Amino acid sequence: MAQYMLLIRGGEPFQEEYSPEQFQRLIQPYIDWSNKLRAEGRSRGGEEIAAGGRTLRVRDGSFVVDGPYAETKEDIGGFFIIQAADEDEAIEVAKDCPTFHRGGFIELRAINEH
Amino acid sequence: MTDSALSTQHAALLEDLFRRQAARIVAALTRYLGPQHLALAEDALQETFITALRSWSYRGVPDNPPAWLMTVARNKALDVVRRERELLVKQGELAREAELHARAGELEQAVEWLDDDLRDDQLRMIFTCCHPALAREAQVALTLKLLCGLGVPEIARAFLVPESTIAQRLVRAVPFGVPDAAELPARLDAVLDVLYLLFNEGYSAHRGDDLVRPDLCAEAIRLASILAAHPAGARPKVHALLALMLLHASRLPARTDARGNLLLLEEQDRARWDRRLILAGLRELSRAAAGDEVSAYHLQAGIAACHAVAPDYAATNWRQILSSYDDLLALEPSPVVALNRAVALAMVAGPEAGIAELERVGAMPGMQSYYLLHMTAGEFFRRTGDIRRALEHYRRAERLPATAPERRFLARRLAECAARDG
Repeated sequence: MAQYMLLIRGGEPFQEEYSPEQFQRLIQPYIDWSNKLRAEGRSRGGEEIAAGGRTLRVRDGSFVVDGPYAETKEDIGGFFIIQAADEDEAIEVAKDCPTFHRGGFIELRAINEH
Repeated sequence: MTDSALSTQHAALLEDLFRRQAARIVAALTRYLGPQHLALAEDALQETFITALRSWSYRGVPDNPPAWLMTVARNKALDVVRRERELLVKQGELAREAELHARAGELEQAVEWLDDDLRDDQLRMIFTCCHPALAREAQVALTLKLLCGLGVPEIARAFLVPESTIAQRLVRAVPFGVPDAAELPARLDAVLDVLYLLFNEGYSAHRGDDLVRPDLCAEAIRLASILAAHPAGARPKVHALLALMLLHASRLPARTDARGNLLLLEEQDRARWDRRLILAGLRELSRAAAGDEVSAYHLQAGIAACHAVAPDYAATNWRQILSSYDDLLALEPSPVVALNRAVALAMVAGPEAGIAELERVGAMPGMQSYYLLHMTAGEFFRRTGDIRRALEHYRRAERLPATAPERRFLARRLAECAARDG
């Protein structure tokens, strides 16, 4: 078993003018998906990440605080950490993520366990 | 608990969460901010839901979603108020800024904020929506928006009017004031009227493809239950209205067949009536009997109860129903009540008596263009065996506005009669 990080990127932002019914419809697939991950014992947590952010670098011996660099449409919305036998299985798990229905995409990275 | 049970529990929990919480949150925020700041409360609500969507997508649903939403809603409201105050300062509206500042202070210090029981807020809100300065349509629209959590497009769909019409009604409805306790009794009748309209709109949607909107019925019952359980609302006519709603709602599962076609009372499978709702309705009806008051709701609930306890259509206590319709007609003369009375009369005294009565009812204003008058006349003639005249009336009904399921029912009757007329 290995752990993988699923970075959820891009996707349509949620609109303010939704009705309660629309909110419910939108959130249900995510809840079902994360419930499934938990039920299968795969979930190792997940967090929402605020838009924007900063980059820190050292240039000529001093810190330069800058950013954000990522285009808004490719910004990271959040991440999940899941457990899977190998990369193929992790890809299969990630395919069910509801973000694909909202135009988002996933960057899948293995967490190194030496 | 098994995983699947847990998942069902989650689904049930979320089923109406946002809608229910929308009503509670707006009602609670408005208590502190005042109804003049309704728009701020609604902004805070939207921001709360956006935050829930984003956070819950990753972290899953919190242990106590209503409490989570209420806490976030208060913080969002304080943010929204802060932005609004900055704007007012820039515009030099210092008196209004000071007022809002005081309101925000109350919201911040509200200790009972997390109380799970906010029914008082919702009750206050019902009475607020029924401000006497508002037209009845605006009262209903406002109730749907603030207490049932329906959006403008959904309200517009429920009443088949353009969204702009609903938006205008809502705009005109604000500013209104929260009534104090002394004003409540005077508004009670308007409140009952609005709840009754809401229920009827759900029970027999006169427009559109759906014959019933069970969601609107459920909302009307929920609000009437809150009212009946509160000291300000525990009056015989409130119990009577609630009884009426429960008894009618008990028949909802049997009113349409699997394809959404309308089934008449006599065709319904009574085993599908909801016994639980019938019992609750009869219980409310006995509570309604306390005191001397006999309202139109009492009479209608009494009629509904006769149907609810009857083993079948023929064995129904039609004499009792006819007598209730007599009283109802004396109390609130209306052509539609007269039409219903004619149906009871036909069951007591035969279809010929019903036909004679319909002649009188048909002369009342607006009745000739009422679909159900001709539908009923068609049924009476069909029962007497006069298929030719039955067809005549079904064809007249066919030319009048009706819902899609009503049209299908009519088409069925026309086909049956045409076959017999041969």
